[in-house]
Amino acid sequence: MRQRVQYLYLEMKKTIGMFPRMLLQAILLMAIISVIAFCGIKSMERDPLAVSVDIGVVVREDNTMTRMALGYVENMESVSQICSFTQMSEEEGFAQLERGEVAALVILPEQLVEGIMNGQNPTVDVIFPRNARLEAMLFRELTESGAGLLRVAQAQIYGAGDTAVEYGLTDHLSVMEAEIDSYNLAFALDRLAMYDEETVSATGRMSVLQYYVAAGAIVFLLLAGMAAYPVMQQEPPAVQRQLMRHGTGMTWQYFCRWLCGFVCMGLFGCSAWILYNIAGILAPDAVGTVNAALISGRNHVSAGVRAVMVLLIVITVATFIYMLYNFAGSRTSGIMLIFLCSVLMVYLSGGFIPSVLMPQIMQSVGDKLPTAYLIRAFGGLLAGYGDGMLSQCVAGMCIYTVVFGVAGYVCGRRK
Amino acid sequence: MENMITVTDITSSYGKRQILKGTSFTAQTGECIGIVGANGCGKSTLLSVLAGTLKPKSGTVIYGDQMAWNSTGTGGMRGDREVIRRMTGYVPQENPLIPELTVYDNLRLWYPDKQTLRQELEQGFLSLLGIKEFSTKQVSKLSGGMKKRVSIGIAMAGMPPILLLDEPSAALDLACKEDIRKYLLTYMERRGTVVITTHEESELSLCTKIYVMRDGILNQADNHLRGEDLVKMF
Repeated sequence: MRQRVQYLYLEMKKTIGMFPRMLLQAILLMAIISVIAFCGIKSMERDPLAVSVDIGVVVREDNTMTRMALGYVENMESVSQICSFTQMSEEEGFAQLERGEVAALVILPEQLVEGIMNGQNPTVDVIFPRNARLEAMLFRELTESGAGLLRVAQAQIYGAGDTAVEYGLTDHLSVMEAEIDSYNLAFALDRLAMYDEETVSATGRMSVLQYYVAAGAIVFLLLAGMAAYPVMQQEPPAVQRQLMRHGTGMTWQYFCRWLCGFVCMGLFGCSAWILYNIAGILAPDAVGTVNAALISGRNHVSAGVRAVMVLLIVITVATFIYMLYNFAGSRTSGIMLIFLCSVLMVYLSGGFIPSVLMPQIMQSVGDKLPTAYLIRAFGGLLAGYGDGMLSQCVAGMCIYTVVFGVAGYVCGRRK
Repeated sequence: MENMITVTDITSSYGKRQILKGTSFTAQTGECIGIVGANGCGKSTLLSVLAGTLKPKSGTVIYGDQMAWNSTGTGGMRGDREVIRRMTGYVPQENPLIPELTVYDNLRLWYPDKQTLRQELEQGFLSLLGIKEFSTKQVSKLSGGMKKRVSIGIAMAGMPPILLLDEPSAALDLACKEDIRKYLLTYMERRGTVVITTHEESELSLCTKIYVMRDGILNQADNHLRGEDLVKMF
């Protein structure tokens, strides 16, 4: 018994003694990976399509009604987002169209509004250059859509008129037309009016910041495991045999290594927390803003639950790392295995791209992986746990811890 | 003189390959038994059985008058690990050291308490090994000779009457070999019994009996045989 306790004490001493070096390695490792990830993201980033279509407008008869009609078209949501209209003379318009300075030229005829009102429907000429570019093609699409909308609106008016005459309701015709106009105008000017506002987030209960902080924390813990090799490695065979000779069996040796690994991972977590708090002292405004954004109003997790969840997260990660080292058997293969498994599992669990944006099969697999439970468990600390989510996370992490522990032990014994 | 080690008809195998095929020998108190033989002939296997890290298939091993390994009568073997641990100190080929710890911490693992360890470092067998001078150093920074001395120091924890050494001088320089030879002589003078497997002729000069292991069986050789004459027996 004395030797067992002494062995555990010395293993702990080794862990604490080596921790600064391991932490430094973990920080360097994370820095390198972060730089690679940052460069990768930057290289893949594309500016959102920013299209500005300049349209020339020729108004043959400048009166209030025409200006109102033009204003109406300009302010339609879909048009105003990509088009800017410039009023000009016909000669100037054709010249600019020739030089490619405008994507299209719109010629509004005389008596335009009156013609629409009395059913004559005068033609609005929209002239595109011979070799139309993307901007012109976009405006063409918009124009055709607008014409379609107008056709529908007119059909509504005519339909309503015919129905009113048929049923002798002509007294109500003006009311019906006003209803139809307001209906069409409302949708044309603001299409959002057609929908109820419902926010759907790919990150679930968590905000985007909370989600990526949770995923980042789990990635950090998993990858920090790469630096924990001296603690998690098997003792040299000669030491193992000598310990067994003196009554310290393999089971106790494995338990001690796992326990040291757990302490090590816990210290990694604490160090990250301390560094964050130091950053809070050095840059209180910036960290305060992040803090405010991180802790949402839905966060109602008691201190006890927080402690248990943090403990479970660290235990699960430590057991996972322990299993991989036992499976790999050597330092290099252990580190490679941790990197590959962690990145792959975090990716499938939606740690890099929310899983709802991935194919169904990847979602199904990723949702059952330990990293999915870990990210949800950590995210819950920030955003609170939804119905049944807490018990789901606890059960998932406990089951995986047992599976990893047994698998790690069996692998170690076989080696 | 009483028999300190009595080994009778020990057999052992790795899978289907039988390594020891009825090995027997005896050693008296204060004797040094040298075991030589070609690589892979089973010298280390025999020492592993004697040290209790490998279970034999059959046979008996008695230390003094205490049974270490014997047959259960149902075809199995029963080992008294407490007797083995108390009676033997074992120096395997690879040093049983945790490289990230200091020499002192490594020794602490095997010695019962700090006081005993300090006494040993100051006046006991560990002082003869000269370990105190580098006891605060990390094991990974030690030379091969220093590591071997610490390994012997570990085997000497509890002052066992039997010391089992598996090629202790392998890959050491001449000075280290000479140092180890001196420690073993001192140990034998203090009525310690040594079983040593070796390829070194200098170590054979310590031995009171030399056995040649061939095909899993020990044959006693003339103590004065050296060089080619001894190799002919392999």
